[in-house]
Amino acid sequence: MEGGYTEKRVKTPTYQNEPQGKFKNWNQQQKLAPYLFIAPFYLLFVIFMGYPLISSLVMSLYEMRGFQSRIFVGLGNFTDLFRDPIFWKSLRNTAYFAIGTLTLQLPIALLLAILLNSKFVKGKNILRLAFFAPVLVAGVFVAIIFNLVYDQRAGLVNQEFVLFGKEIGWLNEEKYVMPAVILTGVWQWAGFNMIYFLAGLQGIRQELYEAAAVDGANWWQAFIHVTLPSLRPVIAFVVVVSMIGSLQLFDLPYILTNGGEPADAGSTIVMYLYKNGFQFMRLGYAATIGWVLFFIIAVVSIVQLKLLGIFRDE
Amino acid sequence: MLRFPIDAESFPLGKGPMVMLVLFLISTLFIFGRSEEAGEDLEFWIFANTHYEEYQARVPIFEAENPGVNVRLINFGGTMHDKLLAAMLSNFGAPDLVEVEITSIGRFLKGAIDEIGFVDLRPRLEREGWMDKLVVSRFTPWSYRGRIYGIPHDLHPVVLLYRDDLFKAAGVEMMAVETWDDFIAAGKKATRDLDGDGKIDQYAIVLDRRTESDYFSLLLQQGGGFFDEDGTVIIDSELAIETLEFFTALFNEHKIATPVYGTWHGDPSNFAAMQDGKILSILAPDWYVGILKSQVPQMSGKWKAIGMPAWQPEGRRTTTRGGTMIGITTQCQNRDRAWELLKFTYFDRPGLVNRYETTRIIPPLKAAWDAPIFKEPDVYLGGQPLGELFIELAPDLPARYQNPYWSEAADLLNDAIFAAVTEKQTPREALTELAEKVRTLIAKDMDRWGDL
Repeated sequence: MEGGYTEKRVKTPTYQNEPQGKFKNWNQQQKLAPYLFIAPFYLLFVIFMGYPLISSLVMSLYEMRGFQSRIFVGLGNFTDLFRDPIFWKSLRNTAYFAIGTLTLQLPIALLLAILLNSKFVKGKNILRLAFFAPVLVAGVFVAIIFNLVYDQRAGLVNQEFVLFGKEIGWLNEEKYVMPAVILTGVWQWAGFNMIYFLAGLQGIRQELYEAAAVDGANWWQAFIHVTLPSLRPVIAFVVVVSMIGSLQLFDLPYILTNGGEPADAGSTIVMYLYKNGFQFMRLGYAATIGWVLFFIIAVVSIVQLKLLGIFRDE
Repeated sequence: MLRFPIDAESFPLGKGPMVMLVLFLISTLFIFGRSEEAGEDLEFWIFANTHYEEYQARVPIFEAENPGVNVRLINFGGTMHDKLLAAMLSNFGAPDLVEVEITSIGRFLKGAIDEIGFVDLRPRLEREGWMDKLVVSRFTPWSYRGRIYGIPHDLHPVVLLYRDDLFKAAGVEMMAVETWDDFIAAGKKATRDLDGDGKIDQYAIVLDRRTESDYFSLLLQQGGGFFDEDGTVIIDSELAIETLEFFTALFNEHKIATPVYGTWHGDPSNFAAMQDGKILSILAPDWYVGILKSQVPQMSGKWKAIGMPAWQPEGRRTTTRGGTMIGITTQCQNRDRAWELLKFTYFDRPGLVNRYETTRIIPPLKAAWDAPIFKEPDVYLGGQPLGELFIELAPDLPARYQNPYWSEAADLLNDAIFAAVTEKQTPREALTELAEKVRTLIAKDMDRWGDL
């Protein structure tokens, strides 16, 4: 026999006591298993996110008539919405709150974080807990508490102003309503955002400050040229998340202003959506407001991320 | 490999998932097992805590009188109306019986008449002769297109509650006030700057300029409304405009009214102003007296009540504000049994007397009015029998016609009132613009549907 080599048919290895048919089945199971593992997420996503999203998009093209019937109106709801003065007023109020958050709440949160990061401040743990605690209180309770705080006669805020002979109707006069809501938002959320900033500050390498000091930078210059640039990803995150939260504002002004009164001075986009959907039974119109809000949030978020340089290659 | 009987070790991924699966199966069985019994039991949804307490005590009596019937009483609080809406939209999960608040019922009446989620109770009411036994005008908030979708829980007549001591100190005898002209004259005497600092320290009346509550009460007293019986918008009628002119004049011309402190009449701020003597009178429905008693018991003995001042001599001395109905939903499987429970909670004299005792709410069932409790002196009002006054006024309650567009209309009416009182618009401009908006809204829907 040439080369003394005998060709032997090599048997495919099989598991002992495992019949051939079962092995095939096992192979299929191995292929299928990963999909089965991730299936619950996709199933839940389709049921609880995908379907409602598509359904609400379809709904925005219809208008309900009572509980069972609906009629196709095309883009009619969208054209109605852009001509609706209460929608524009609600949008203005929402933007007012969002700007208040950006210009008041976030700088306060950053300031608190810097203070708590400083080595000169004592009792940091207690202060951290104290500033963070308001976020643990549900929005509805915050609104109820601040209803008393803004009380025209006996409220904590007016107690100080009364000394100057002024009894401000914080929740009664149009011009004071949104400032009252913004201040409440600051109380509730500044501590929460402070935690993000604090984490960011603690992640900045000390060598950078030392190098800046060697170059003769004072505290302010170090803050501008070291702290802020290093915090950029955190700032971007906090700004975008806060802005999305602000644009979705609902429970706080709803309870605080008893549904947006007076004269819709406390009305927000989501509040107007809720009123249309649940109080006026105009589900198609409410879905339209929802989709317009979605586009507003998407555009605002992209613009912010662009401005904050998140898309830039480093 | 999975073995039978299953043990925790051989179950894929271990004990945790097995426990979760078992819990899932048990809860699924529980949920779907229950629905099969739904026809046997009665589910009753409510939103008011005081009603819940009352029915909690009464339901066991009904169950004892009706062996085999199990009543599930659920108090969802303020979220109940939204839950009911969702149940009616999905055509699944609505209760057999439900209480609905007066400002919320409109949205449930939208759409084709056969798609409304409540059973028309008119045939049962007429067949059993209940119509004559109740105050008929109180069916109007719960009726639409000739059908009656709910039975009134209450009448909510309104009186003028006033600080007798402070009006007397200003030299005013309020018992002599009969008309609004009398009230303005009295109010001008009583609205005063007590310490000479140039600021008013006490106002004759507190009125809500943020919402429709007080203005609409006055309009109803005059026999007006937002919609008439046929659903026509009448908020820009001369009657409505004159009433708003009167309302704004109380603030701006006569200067005897102060805006409500806080967000509504039941705000702690408003109660504080009352205790400080800054507010001398208020338009108060029966339920509001109950709130006052529980929230400011320290003011006991300081208040007195008269019928509201009339618009002309011998005119109507009351109006109505607020209200609740009970209805049977079209998803109810056992409507006869539900009707029996409805009658037990709403038409039973001892129960209604007990209701007045705890909440001061005057029942719509006339047969209950001769109970001695209504004639008892009320300590909170310095011994005045308040129940007697409410019952004297009750037969004269104005109609308040319901409409599917009430929620939208009321929201816009709030803005119109505020604009008029703050003099951004004249009452005529504000109401004309408002009426136009609501007419446009309705016309658009009519264009889409062909009818309403």
